[in-house]
Amino acid sequence: MAAVEKRRLAVAQAANFTSSGRPGVSRAAATAESEEDFLRQVGVTEMLRAALLKVLEARPEEPIAFLAHYFENMGLRSPANGGAGEPPGQLLLQQQRLGRALWHLRLAHHSQRTAFNNNVGVAYECLSASGRKKKPGLDGRTYSELLKRICRDGEAPEEVVAPLLRKIQCRDHEAVPLAVFRAGMLTCFVLLEFVARAGALYRLLEDPGLAVADRHVGQAVLDTLEGALQASDDTAPARYLEAGSRLGPDSLALAMDRALVARRPSAPMTREEFLEKAAALFIAKVKPVG
Amino acid sequence: MLSPERLALPDYEYLAQRHVLTYMEDAVCQLLENKEDISQYGIARFFTEYFNSVCQGTHILFREFSFIQATPHNRASFLRAFWRCFRTVGKNGDLLTMREYHCLLQLLCPDFPLELTQKAARIVLMDDAMDCLMSFSDFLFAFQIQFYYSEFLESVAAIYQDLLSGKNPNTVIVPTSSSGQHRPRPTLGEASMLEGVEASLFCQCLENLCDRHKYSCPPPALVKEVLSNVQRLTFYGFLVALSKHHGINQALGALPDKGDLMHDPALDEELERLTH
Repeated sequence: MAAVEKRRLAVAQAANFTSSGRPGVSRAAATAESEEDFLRQVGVTEMLRAALLKVLEARPEEPIAFLAHYFENMGLRSPANGGAGEPPGQLLLQQQRLGRALWHLRLAHHSQRTAFNNNVGVAYECLSASGRKKKPGLDGRTYSELLKRICRDGEAPEEVVAPLLRKIQCRDHEAVPLAVFRAGMLTCFVLLEFVARAGALYRLLEDPGLAVADRHVGQAVLDTLEGALQASDDTAPARYLEAGSRLGPDSLALAMDRALVARRPSAPMTREEFLEKAAALFIAKVKPVG
Repeated sequence: MLSPERLALPDYEYLAQRHVLTYMEDAVCQLLENKEDISQYGIARFFTEYFNSVCQGTHILFREFSFIQATPHNRASFLRAFWRCFRTVGKNGDLLTMREYHCLLQLLCPDFPLELTQKAARIVLMDDAMDCLMSFSDFLFAFQIQFYYSEFLESVAAIYQDLLSGKNPNTVIVPTSSSGQHRPRPTLGEASMLEGVEASLFCQCLENLCDRHKYSCPPPALVKEVLSNVQRLTFYGFLVALSKHHGINQALGALPDKGDLMHDPALDEELERLTH
């Protein structure tokens, strides 16, 4: 933080001539020291250090927007904003808990496993904390609501994610242990990314004028994808290579070529259908809960 | 869509890409300037407002020039703010002098340097009769090029001068027959007959410039486009072409197309709400 303060002094001095009523170049060292004390006293130094670490951990696409949300969330917890200043979870309404948990879950990408798992833990605690009318622990209904919210915010069509939710949801009054919660969250986020990529793939296949894809080409792609996923049932590295090679330009292009050559007139494949089928391939691999 | 590349960058590079530390340091400065008004718990709210305003591009209003030009985002935000605040000048078809535009700029940035406004005006007026009147859109797009790409333009000016005097600033050997290194210095007679410099050679120099330097350059492909339409061109001819190029404007992303300059439904809505 020392470097920040040195720069701050330089910038502040440069800005002197525009700020009203402050002494110019003759700013005394004492003022600088008192400012440093002020920053430390109100916890700004620590606050910014924590914020910076969070940014580096999450590596968001838009770090400035991320910081805005980060501080907004921090502000929500302070007494001045109606919170009681007690540990998060108590005295908060259901919706606020969900919002808070969602925020934590989005801090790190699911591929950053350690960071993601840490955040899942915090989100779980936030949802499990006891309240005035609430027993401690996460119930199935809240868990289901959270899953639905994540899918909705991730812009995945409902029909696409419904089969997943059916597989991993818990009964309303069941207690949801952390392990189940963690697996569910990971599956959900991975599926959302999968659906997004499938959507991008569809855009490559679709006829720009008609906004639909040829059914046979679409099916060929899906079949290739299914074949690749089956190949990766075993976790041995060789399986990943095999799966990768099946999805490589050579075999995928061949499959698409064959479909184009053998093209018979048929109803086109819409984006929704493509996404549903693609998602189904993924969901088939998910272990149901219970 | 999340791009995986940013996950693999070393910490410092990732932060530097979006100037995260610049904004954090500035946030602390701003906090200190206003510390009398902020309570302990208001600090998080202060930072929230600060970073939100950076996202929205309003953070540059009434700030000092050194801050406004500190990052590409700041420059683009300033251009956008200038457009939104003063587009009505254009609406009425008013023509203003360079000094009048400078006054408008100073309303948004009290210490905005006159030199920069002059340079922008020179682009519009082709370095001629500096007290002439200019339309808002002409000035705005010229100003955009001058302000956003200041450093690039300085280097371009140097290269242009070198080419004019017969020196080839390229240290790389260009294996074509028209390479400047093999051309003898033009005699005075030759130089005065042909105006400006040869476009293709100029283009090569600019390509090298864009490769060598980290500061913002217009997209090289578009610069090439501008230079491929002509045989020869002058420095100000080049700048005018840059300022009028739709692709470059769009790539910059601060201002709308020239045709939509008067169109700002969001601001119109705000004004309606305020006045009714």
